[in-house]
Amino acid sequence: MEAGSIEEAETRIRPSMESCTDPYLRCAFYGAALTALGVSGSALLAHSPQGCDYLVNNAFAAQECDYIETMTLCTKLCVDEIVHGGEEALARTIREVKGLPISCLFVISACGPEIVGDDINAVCEMLQPEMQCRLIPIASAGFRGSQYDGIDIALDSILKRLSSQDAEKVPGSVCLIAPHANANPTWPADLAWVKQVLSRMGVPVVATLAHRTPISEIMNAAAAETSIVLSHDAGQKAAEYLHDAHGVEPICQGIPLPIGMTNTQRWLLALGERFDRLKIAEEIISEGEQMVMAACRQKWPVARFLYRIPAAIVADATVGIPLVRFVTEDMEMTPALVALYTSTRSVRDLLAQELGSLGLSPEVVYGTDVYKTRQRIRDVKPRIVFGSTIERHASEGVPVAYVVEVVRPMRQFRLIDREYFGYTGILNLFEAVQNEWTMAWRSKEKRYSAKW
Amino acid sequence: MLRMDRDYIAFHGNLEQLLGKVESGEMIPKLQASHAPMCKFFTTYYVISGIRHVVPLVHGPTGCPLYMSDFVRTRECCEIRGIPLEPTACTALDESHVIYGGEGKLLEAVKEAYAKYHPDLIVILSCCCSGIIGDDVESIARIAEEEVGCRVLALRSEGFGGDFRSGYEDAFKVLLELMEPPEKTMKGVINILGARWGPTPTEYHYDLDEIERLLHEIGIRINAIIAGGCTVEQLRHAREVELNASWCYDWGQKLGDLMQVRFGIPYSRTGQPYGLKATEEWLLGVAEPLGMEREAQEVIEKEVRQVQPEVDYLHEALAGKTAIIEITEFPGPIRALSLARMAEEFGAYPIVINVHPYTVKERMPSIKYILETGLNPELILTKGLFELGSFRSSKETEDELEAIVQEYEDPIFFGNSGRFPPCPVVNLSLMNPSYQPHYGYNGIKNLAALVKQALEHSALPRSRLFRGMLYGSG
Repeated sequence: MEAGSIEEAETRIRPSMESCTDPYLRCAFYGAALTALGVSGSALLAHSPQGCDYLVNNAFAAQECDYIETMTLCTKLCVDEIVHGGEEALARTIREVKGLPISCLFVISACGPEIVGDDINAVCEMLQPEMQCRLIPIASAGFRGSQYDGIDIALDSILKRLSSQDAEKVPGSVCLIAPHANANPTWPADLAWVKQVLSRMGVPVVATLAHRTPISEIMNAAAAETSIVLSHDAGQKAAEYLHDAHGVEPICQGIPLPIGMTNTQRWLLALGERFDRLKIAEEIISEGEQMVMAACRQKWPVARFLYRIPAAIVADATVGIPLVRFVTEDMEMTPALVALYTSTRSVRDLLAQELGSLGLSPEVVYGTDVYKTRQRIRDVKPRIVFGSTIERHASEGVPVAYVVEVVRPMRQFRLIDREYFGYTGILNLFEAVQNEWTMAWRSKEKRYSAKW
Repeated sequence: MLRMDRDYIAFHGNLEQLLGKVESGEMIPKLQASHAPMCKFFTTYYVISGIRHVVPLVHGPTGCPLYMSDFVRTRECCEIRGIPLEPTACTALDESHVIYGGEGKLLEAVKEAYAKYHPDLIVILSCCCSGIIGDDVESIARIAEEEVGCRVLALRSEGFGGDFRSGYEDAFKVLLELMEPPEKTMKGVINILGARWGPTPTEYHYDLDEIERLLHEIGIRINAIIAGGCTVEQLRHAREVELNASWCYDWGQKLGDLMQVRFGIPYSRTGQPYGLKATEEWLLGVAEPLGMEREAQEVIEKEVRQVQPEVDYLHEALAGKTAIIEITEFPGPIRALSLARMAEEFGAYPIVINVHPYTVKERMPSIKYILETGLNPELILTKGLFELGSFRSSKETEDELEAIVQEYEDPIFFGNSGRFPPCPVVNLSLMNPSYQPHYGYNGIKNLAALVKQALEHSALPRSRLFRGMLYGSG
């Protein structure tokens, strides 16, 4: 067919505009791997073709696993296993790890074996008697949904198979859920801040689901009195399960995660009230706010020069929703576009609540993809974008002065984890703006050469 | 010489003998469960993403394109190679499509992709899901092509459908469909085959740049680097060239043979241009069929004069040494064999270690070609190569390497700086662009500099920190 004009083609074909997407989120298989790799003393076996193992490798890096401690394996399914079934290959591979010093082997299945009907539960059940470690099958084919669905699927399998029914309650304790469902590329620092705050309040953390979590913690998860979901994107189902099955009370719900002054204050006060540690919460708030103000007074962040410039936030809900208030209040910019990767009811409700409370009415895109983001950036013309490297390139040709990379993928390399939660988190975000401002001001060429 | 009674030796012989053992099944060409190379889908994507203004339309769930999108598109293409953000489109198949089929959605997606991105080409890539449920991607491509303003091709690239190599080859093969009957012959013009814009860890653009530079000096023009940033227009005219050549015999071979058989375009079979002889062979292998031998000789003489100090240095530095060459996964065994040839050229005795039987199987035609050219180096495979687990395997092979090196006189190690043998280490990591290219005459300069660094600083202490990071502190 000869190439006609683009306008002609567009008029003629009239496609439904939801069949072709350029997604930000990975599949359920990735989310399941990310969750299972948060359990220490375990190994992960991907029952999949070899390509899916690259998603496991990616999850391995995101969970900051150590290759000295954690092994990942793959059944590397080929045509034979797809045609005749891959259960034999799975059994053979499970037997290969018999000698490993692990307490648990997670077996996660990908699209191929699930479509052809491999029964990973049956294989694990059959082999369990001859294995020293626990076998935990997780049916997590990519087509089951996004990475957040995969996190929920894996948490469900892990809790149902491992958490003890008769765990004795630890008074005033907490179970932390889904810290890894967070687009901050160094999210373990967010988790570390939460744990530090809880420690200062004297609130014991019974289990973290999941990051460097020993299997014994998971078995004891039901002993927690409360749970906190550290994500707006995943983990809610696990909190509901713990509540329904074990009476674990979900707390800090319906408020944004602690990014920025007001969100942090609100979150800490909710925590303090629940555990009757209001005084300590107020101390943390007071110290933190003074520290941030002093640091800003000493370093003079340039964000203050960006007063009310139109801003876009393109992120997951976990970072994106709290950023709305932070950008509006603390940085005094005006969100003109909020594009979130997810579109669940709870995400919509929370964002609507925040926008209403702030009196903002930006362009909002739920379940955005790269195409939609680029189009909206073109339409809305924000001058600053809080997003990722993708938005840096998606903004080319549009007069966006600054792209502050705060969510993955990011070009800035971090050897040290940096949190967004809490008071140091505020400084980290200011620093990101500062560095982007510096880069934007940097001259792209020299006007003449020096003589020497 | 190495004592064969060492219990860590899994194979010790030459390349021909290893090939024989792999072919006969005596050495099983299968990687252990903890080592997974890319699947067919990935490698197909690598090739397709090497065409400008193309939409690779992934017919599958979102996990398949996302890895490629993050790694290939954003990090490598946009950040490193200066390529604009190009789409990684996907039909995002879910459970209902797996049950009821996704062909309808695919057809809509093609139309939508055309409307959104205005591409010159759309290539549908099937994944495990769409492959197993039997979606007829080829028919959809044919139907869709009638309704959009660009070519629509389909590639069966299910991850389970073949090894990583089959993805490259199938993708190159489908590009033949874009090559139109020639209206003329472009004199003194060639295609370079086998490139993948997709930044696999086996290649960086510096080597291709060096080839382009030398061809330009001779007066040979390039129609298309297939598929290293070529356009659909260049692919249409690909049959008008006088000759096809490859930056690497291994990767260009399949497409070169196909174009020779189908279109009668001769294909220059040459190895990788590492060192003087191989570079000369590469250039003459291209220039002679074009009748440009004299021009090529002039360029070669001029270039050789310019690198004479480095050539003299390499002769002096490497004569009588044992060159232990280890390039296992990155950038691949063919480079290791090319380096062996270069080391021999400069007077060293090359020993290539830990070429996995798997890679021998994957590269069978190229290995056989290398043997035909007379290169048949000594090879050692150690047991650590077959160890389960990436840490265990690397720790064990490191220990074995250190032991092997001590058994040879005057050894020099060609590999990467992640190894700590008790001898000079020539860091050939392609991750260090400051000494790229390795090909051609500029490559000789860079390799000489790397050898010099290795020899002059071999007494400096190695990093206890990096060693502990890689192999544990115990």
